[in-house]
Formats: sequence, C-alpha cells, structure tokens
Amino acid sequence: MIELALHLVVLIKVVPDGKEVFVDPVTFTLNRSMATNIINPADENALEAALQIKDQTDAKVTVMTMAPPFAEPFLMECMSRGADEAVLISDRAVAGSDTYPTSLTVAAAIKKMGDVDIVFAGEKTSDSSTGHVGPGVAEFIGAELASYSRKVTYENGYVTAERELENGIEEVRIPTPAVVTILTDSNDPRRATLRKKIDAMKRGIITWSLADINIPADWVGLRSSPTVVKKMLPFPRKDRKGEKIEKEKIPELIDNLVKSGVIRVEAE
Amino acid sequence: MAEMKKAEPPKDVSQYKGIMVYLDSFEGKLTRAAHEMIGVGRKMADKVKEPCIGVVIGDKVDSMADDAGKYGCDEVYGFESHDLSMYRSRPFTDILSSMVFEKKPNILIVPGTKNGRDLAARTAVRVQSGLTADCMEIDVEPETDILIARRPDYGDSTMSEIRCEKHRPQMATSRPGTFDLPPYDEKRSFKKEIRKVELKKDQLREEILSFKPKGGEDITVSKVLVSGGLGMGNADGLKLIEQLASIMGGSYGVTRPVADLGWAPRDHQVGQTGKIVRPDLYIAAGISGKPQHIVGMMDSKTVIAVNKDPDAEITRYSDYVINGDLYEILPVFIEELKKRKKMKDKN
Ligand SMILES: Cc1cc2nc3c(=O)[nH]c(=O)nc-3n(C[C@H](O)[C@H](O)[C@H](O)COP(=O)(O)OP(=O)(O)OC[C@H]3O[C@@H](n4cnc5c(N)ncnc54)[C@H](O)[C@@H]3O)c2cc1C
Ligand SMILES: Nc1ncnc2c1ncn2[C@@H]1O[C@H](COP(=O)(O)O)[C@@H](O)[C@H]1O
Repeated sequence: MIELALHLVVLIKVVPDGKEVFVDPVTFTLNRSMATNIINPADENALEAALQIKDQTDAKVTVMTMAPPFAEPFLMECMSRGADEAVLISDRAVAGSDTYPTSLTVAAAIKKMGDVDIVFAGEKTSDSSTGHVGPGVAEFIGAELASYSRKVTYENGYVTAERELENGIEEVRIPTPAVVTILTDSNDPRRATLRKKIDAMKRGIITWSLADINIPADWVGLRSSPTVVKKMLPFPRKDRKGEKIEKEKIPELIDNLVKSGVIRVEAE
Repeated sequence: MAEMKKAEPPKDVSQYKGIMVYLDSFEGKLTRAAHEMIGVGRKMADKVKEPCIGVVIGDKVDSMADDAGKYGCDEVYGFESHDLSMYRSRPFTDILSSMVFEKKPNILIVPGTKNGRDLAARTAVRVQSGLTADCMEIDVEPETDILIARRPDYGDSTMSEIRCEKHRPQMATSRPGTFDLPPYDEKRSFKKEIRKVELKKDQLREEILSFKPKGGEDITVSKVLVSGGLGMGNADGLKLIEQLASIMGGSYGVTRPVADLGWAPRDHQVGQTGKIVRPDLYIAAGISGKPQHIVGMMDSKTVIAVNKDPDAEITRYSDYVINGDLYEILPVFIEELKKRKKMKDKN
C-alpha cells in the first residue's frame, strides 16, 4: 500500500513561565510582572511526538495557535525544531474566549485545512490547566480521541497510543482522523537547528483571521463563552496552630501521636 | 460529534432541574472520586431540594448503582454493555450527553480523574455548556440555582470563582481527593433504572489493546506520608525520607522541583500538578510551603513541618513545627520509632 503524506497538526499555546511566577509573601498574591513567556511545556512534548512520527513516515507538520501576534516567535521556534508550517489565528474578537470558543475556532481552522490526519495537543496548559481544548476539538471535528498519551505511533491509518491513567497504562488503537493529547515530560523535545531556522524565516507564518476560517465574530470571545470568572478570592488559609517542638521533645510528640492513633507502631 | 456553532444558551433555564453526578468506575467498582462527587451532589441537592441523579456506565452496573444510591443518589441510571467494561471516549460521551438531553439537569458534576476529565470536556462541547475544571469548592446558590465553582488560579495564591449563568447544565470537575467521602446508609431508598445499550460500530472505533496496572504505591491512599522538598539538598536525601515513611508503614511524597530534578518519580509529587493527599499524618521536611504544594496536602489530619527556616510558610499549615536541619531531626524520629517497635516486639 502506498502511504500518502500524513498531515499532522500540533496545537500550541504561549504561557507565562511558571518558574518566574512567584507569590508575594506579604500580600499572598501572584506576581507575574517578572514572568517571561514560554511554549506551554506539554505542547513541546506534543510537537516532539508529532516530529517523531514525521521521522518515521512521510508527513507534514503544521503548528497552530490562536493568539495575538506576540506568539509569532514561538511558532518560528517550532518550525526551527522541524515543523513545516505555522498558522497563527489572530483576531481581536477572540479575546476572553474560554475553552468552548477556543476549541471551536481551532477546529474551524483544522476543517479549513481539510486533510488533517492527527491533531496533537498538550494534556493541559500550565496557566489555565483545564485540558479541555484537545477533547473539545475532537468533538467539533468528529475525530477519535486518545487523551493523556505518553507514546504515539502511526501505522496504516491507525494511531496507537499509550494512555497513562491513575492506575495503569492503557494501550488504545484509533483510526484517523484522530486527536491525541500528550503528557508533560513524556519525551525529550529536540532542539532547534540553525538550518531549519533559516528555512523557517524564509517560509514565514500564515496568519488567519476569523473571516478566513468562517467563524462569525459573535461566536467567540468573552460574550460567547459559557463560563465567566466572577471574582478572585484569596487562597483559603487553613491556618493551624504551628506549635513549636524542640528537638528534645520529639519523643514526647511521638508518644502523643501514637496515643491518639495517628502513628501505629506495629511489631515487624 | 458536536455541531460547529457557538454555545447556544437555552431559552428557559428554569426547565433545568436536579444535580446529575457522573459516576466513574474501575473494574466494576465506583472510584473514590465518584463517591466524593456523590457527597458533593447530595449536599447541593438538599440545598435546592432537587434530586441527585447518578449516571453509571459499564459492563455490569447493578451493584454500582446500589452503591451510588446508598451513598446518596436519589435516582440512579445504569447503562450496560459488554463493550463498555472500560472507558471509551466516544460511547461514554454519547450516553452521558443523551442523559443530559433527556433529564435536563441544572448541574452536572464529573470526577476529575483522567477519564472523567476527558468525558466532561467532550460532553460540555456536545451539550453546548460551560465546564470548570479542578474545583476545590463546588456549591449552589439556592436563590438562583447557580453553581459556584471555585478553582485555584495559576500559581494558586488566589482562587477564582467561575460561573456559567446562561448555559445548562452548569458543569464542574474536581481532582480526586478534594472532598471527604459521604456517609453510607444501607437503608437509603432510591430509584434505580438499568438500561441495556446496543452500540453501533461507529461508536466503537476505539479499540483497547491492553491495560497494564501500575505497580508501585498509590500515595493518595497512604495513611502516613513523609514528604521531602528541595531542602533535602540532593537525591540521596530521599533515602532518609523513605526510611522514616516505611518505619511508620507509610509512603513518601515530594515537591514538584524534586520531581523535576528527577530525584523522585512524578507519581510521588504532591500538589496542584501532582496528587491531592489527605493522610492522617503528613510530615513536610525541607518544604517551604508554597500554595501549589499546600493545595495538595492541606486536608491532612495532622501536619508536622521540619524546616531550617522558622518562618517558612509551611509553618502556617502545620500543627507542629520543628525548627532545624532535616538531616538531624528525621534521624531522631527514626531512632525513637525504632525503640518503640523493639519494645512492642518484646511484649
Ligand atoms: C503552575 C505551577 C504548578 C506547581 N505545582 C506544584 C505541585 O504540584 N507541587 C509542588 O510541590 N510544587 C508545585 N509548584 C512549585 C511551587 O511553586 C514551589 O516552587 C515548590 O513547591 C517549592 O518546593 P520546595 O518547598 O521543595 O522548595 P523551596 O521552596 O526551595 O523550599 C525549600 C525549603 O527547605 C528548607 N530547607 C533547606 N535546607 C534544609 C534542611 N537541611 N533541613 C530542613 N529544611 C531545609 C528551606 O528553608 C525552604 O523552606 C508549582 C508551580 C507552578 C508555577
Ligand atoms: N489558544 C490556543 N491555541 C492553540 N491551541 C491551544 C490553545 N489553547 C489551548 N490549546 C491546546 O490545548 C491544550 C490544552 O489546553 P487547555 O484546555 O487550555 O488546558 C494545550 O496544551 C494546547 O495544545
């Protein structure tokens, strides 16, 4: 059988770098003024998973994000690692979208491409951390879904994925078109190469507006998002008494914990 | 498959009544997370005086349906087929969505296990409604029937209250371990309906090739947990942590940077991006107590902090604080516990 070239799409999101987000110890609020942006960690793994399939088979890899133009350098970075094409969906109207209109918009862009075999997404983003967009896209495009995957292979129209669940590893096989969501740390993302970077600069980024993907502006954005953030509350402070125990008093503490049944010292 | 269109709110939200709880299961038993969600659903149902409706899907569901009723559901609907012995994204979404269309619940809560999150995310799109993930608090406002879903923000120093005012059902998930288990009542009466389902071929495109149960311990069920943070200074520090844990018959936990550094497997990470634990005893050694860690352990019954810094944030969340180097303090614990074991052995 002749394998026609596969089309793989990787969804990425640019997020603030968690390592640089810190909590103000006095006000107990989040300070992200120092934070720089990065590609969402799980999305780097999603890109790598797609590139590994491209290493094996004749495939085209498209990276895609719905974001303001500041995301461009991150798309370029993905191409410098091996993606063939980058699409930026950029439109003022999408501002404030929750996961429903985000999934809808991304799905519309995938439909416009027409020939997509596998969509790769991260298991979740580190900033909003919902993990809803991958399954949402699967639902809109009517694809099969393998979420929380750590290893993905492709053969003859089928994707085999190892889903890592709480209590075990499940191996599933689904036909294309398929959506897979990839676990953080599931592989080692490759580095950019200078040659690919130069190629990427020549190729540039494709930018689509909502009109380009036939999504009316009033389908997206804050007003068309079912969920709304109503207020911010301080993190619940379940203060405890924090009784100071001197090193010499540890035996006494242990006795008390044994007496109250918190620690059991069973004979071996 | 969902229609490619915007999420359309229903014209009359007052038609939507009741709290639906999806009950996820493993090997013919409801998961702990499912039980937790029954408790949450029950409380809301009492508050608004509407039924708590359980939905269970599986190979054989009768005893699970009974379990759900005895833990607090008023009505339980079971869907049975040999093809549904394990979670499969498409048919489970088809069934849960059809129940939403049939029963029109005002609220739908789903355990935030991985499969539960997969299902909730797809169902929200299919039924055109809003979903809030990883809630730490789920409640309902009786005057308005509005779901109050609160979740930690990025970095977790604040919580956001998220509402879905116009769309129905209002949906939420919570991480396993977030809530206490509801009481079990052998005599509770409830309505039970089991439906046999015939699935079509195109609903069963996903083939499950194998399932390998994960070895190793599950830190979410340990009664005693000793956790080490960056204060260990190196990977070897974990040996001390493990030694203390094992002498008490418990397991060990770590903070995220410790897992990031590869000093311990990710399965042992406690916190926002790790596991939520609620043991009888939690010993935090060399852990500063950042909110992202605290959110994973703050419901532990007794917390002991061992830290060089007497003002570390962890002290606010601890019942007992021992100021000092963990390499000096933990051996004292180990010695003392050994002594007591020996005494027990002699008796
Ligand atoms: C989106 C996001 C998600 C996150 N998720 C998680 C998560 O799930 N879990 C998690 O844990 N973190 C998480 N974090 C990271 C979190 O913010 C903190 O960085 C982390 O919890 C700190 O780890 P630590 O306490 O081990 O290290 P540190 O903050 O460096 O604290 C080390 C502590 O050890 C003490 N110490 C040093 N030497 C000794 C010694 N010899 N003896 C005794 N005490 C000593 C110090 O006084 C200090 O208090 C997340 C962060 C982000 C941005
Ligand atoms: N704005 C976006 N553009 C493209 N992909 C996205 C966007 N938001 C989320 N994704 C993808 O969906 C995954 C899960 O995101 P989330 O549901 O926000 O946790 C991410 O890891 C990305 O792969």
